[in-house]
Amino acid sequence: MMYDFFVDLFGNTVIAGIASGILMSLLPLFLFILPYALFAVLAERKVSAHMQDRLGPMRIGWHGWNQTIADIIKLIQKEDIVASDTDKPLFNFAPVLVFAGSYAAFAAIPFSSYYIGSEVDLGIFYIIAVTGLVVAGILMAGWASNNKYSLLGSMRSVAQIVSYEIPTMLVVLSLVMVSETMSLHTLSEMQTGYFWNWYIFGGPGFSLTKFLLIPSMLIGFIIIYISTLAEVNRVPFDIPEAESELVAGYHTEYSGMKFAMFFLAEYANMYAVSAIVAALFFGGYQSPVGYLGNLLGVEWLIPIEQFLWFAAKGLFFVFVQMWLRWTLPRLRVDQLMAVSWKYLIPIAFVNLIVIGFITLI
Amino acid sequence: MKEYFSNIYTALVTIFIGMKVTLKHLFVPSVTIQYPDVKPELPERERNRLYVNMDDCIGCDQCARACPVSCIQIETTKALPAEDLGKTSNGKKKALWVTGFTIDFSKCCYCQLCVFPCPTDCIYMTDVYEFSEYQRDDLIFDFVTLTPEERQQKRDNLAKFNAEKEAEKLKAAAESKPKIETEQKKDQPKE
Amino acid sequence: MNLYDLMFYLFAALTVISGFFVVTNRNIIYSGFFLLFTFFGVAGIYVLLGADFVAIVQLIVYVGGILILLLFGVMLTNKITNVEIKTGTINIYPATIAIGLLTGSLLAALINSSWLTVSTAAPEPTTKALGTMLIQEYALIFELLGIILLIALIGAASMARREK
Repeated sequence: MMYDFFVDLFGNTVIAGIASGILMSLLPLFLFILPYALFAVLAERKVSAHMQDRLGPMRIGWHGWNQTIADIIKLIQKEDIVASDTDKPLFNFAPVLVFAGSYAAFAAIPFSSYYIGSEVDLGIFYIIAVTGLVVAGILMAGWASNNKYSLLGSMRSVAQIVSYEIPTMLVVLSLVMVSETMSLHTLSEMQTGYFWNWYIFGGPGFSLTKFLLIPSMLIGFIIIYISTLAEVNRVPFDIPEAESELVAGYHTEYSGMKFAMFFLAEYANMYAVSAIVAALFFGGYQSPVGYLGNLLGVEWLIPIEQFLWFAAKGLFFVFVQMWLRWTLPRLRVDQLMAVSWKYLIPIAFVNLIVIGFITLI
Repeated sequence: MKEYFSNIYTALVTIFIGMKVTLKHLFVPSVTIQYPDVKPELPERERNRLYVNMDDCIGCDQCARACPVSCIQIETTKALPAEDLGKTSNGKKKALWVTGFTIDFSKCCYCQLCVFPCPTDCIYMTDVYEFSEYQRDDLIFDFVTLTPEERQQKRDNLAKFNAEKEAEKLKAAAESKPKIETEQKKDQPKE
Repeated sequence: MNLYDLMFYLFAALTVISGFFVVTNRNIIYSGFFLLFTFFGVAGIYVLLGADFVAIVQLIVYVGGILILLLFGVMLTNKITNVEIKTGTINIYPATIAIGLLTGSLLAALINSSWLTVSTAAPEPTTKALGTMLIQEYALIFELLGIILLIALIGAASMARREK
């Protein structure tokens, strides 16, 4: 659609391809991630405040609704401080890499049946792969800062992400075994209809396997939620940026817009993993109760509804992440590793085998 | 093995208990007071900024002497016999013009010791606690109700009155006493 | 020249240039980070060749695994406070001869071979075919590779324990 428009405009398929590619890839950023981040940062502060019987930001706008906008204006105006002993090329490039990694994941996330950045056949696999860029970026940031806290933070972060990728992969694998697809779009389409077709309730259809799968799916969901929580460095797995130990971890030395990029990447990541959980287990963009568009016979309403459902599911899991943040204290490093290697990975393995047997039936 | 599974069980159960508590608090009304908009109610006997009711002040200097940090400065000028300064609200007769009464709040320690000696209860604590300033000099509060010209006038009046009295005395002395004494008196500085 | 050609040249240039920097850079950390772009470019070329699964495995294994471990190792084994992570150049003459021979043979092979050209069709997803092949045709090799990796894992673990 957009490609055709640019072909008409430029009369050249190459330029049209590039232009439409750039425009399409910027669309989720400006249409979704930035507004979401604006909302999520405020929501985080509000949720944390109300969970501690405080009020949170109240001064800018009604109940502080414009607080994040004011913060962003402040961050844009701030001086970009680069300490003299930092490794400058790497220091400047690291936030870009981190943001690129977390942003690339959005290419394969199905927002609605009509809008999905790239309908790659390997959707979920691709998302896990590009997360590797985030790891490299964090390592780069920690190294380039030439600061022991940054380096420690990035080391911890990388060790954590690498170990928690294993349970994530195992759960994804077990789901791929059940659904026989890696495309998030197909996966969402399979869970259409009502909420009992979601994979958390054993997947579509009514057979013996469905009911046998329910406990395994529940375990799988808990494992993937915990491990993705660790992958985005959220509390209780926030040892990479533990304020009380490491100042701010790998982004200690960053200020201004570079810090904002890390911040944005963190919040984008939070949504990305929530969206993955929603797409794998909770029907993706499918409505749990049917569509208003079908009821009224309005065809164009359905994609919008799907988008809203998807956003709502993602935001719910983001809310649970915040909820957990203000409930649990931080884990120690050895406890963190113990959770991954002694608990999540063996259970995920057993779960994988059990699901394999059930699907064979 | 038993410990392994009981660990998992306790972890999950305690997480859910904790989440229940935090969720409950999400809906508890907050304890925050929106300070500049809503001010907290202060206790009855709170000690904040001093106030001096100059209509009642007799310039006795007792508060200044009681002050442990010497933040009160009082300057008084005697009233002329012809002038009637009126009475304070509790019936004391005023005999002095208070031409200077400053309290330096950057020094004040809010001990309230100046309040008790006051014979006319004219110095007391108010509930004003928001009086920060950008300049330290702005924290020196002047309570005198007279304008600077009036104060100068009072001082001039007294000086003139004293000078006249002196002159009269001098005249009387010159008539009755020997000359040497008057010479001595002349050496005394006149103000 | 169409869009795919352009993208191919982009990825090829990324691979070659960053590969050049990997070799020439004297700072090991820099080399490691340039390796990231080399792997990324190779993954891009795989995608353009229609090998989507291999491309993503390339990203997961090389970027997410090997590169990170490499950087981790370099950062952990060197003193961080006084950076002395430099690579030197030794044995210039034998290396030049060997590289020259290798380049010559590669170029000869490039020029002399008759390239098979196939008109580009939309690439099919390869995952399913790959999976079937790994489980049926090449099952033995697949299992053997798994055992080799397991041996490496056990060896690493036993080295790391080092009980007295």
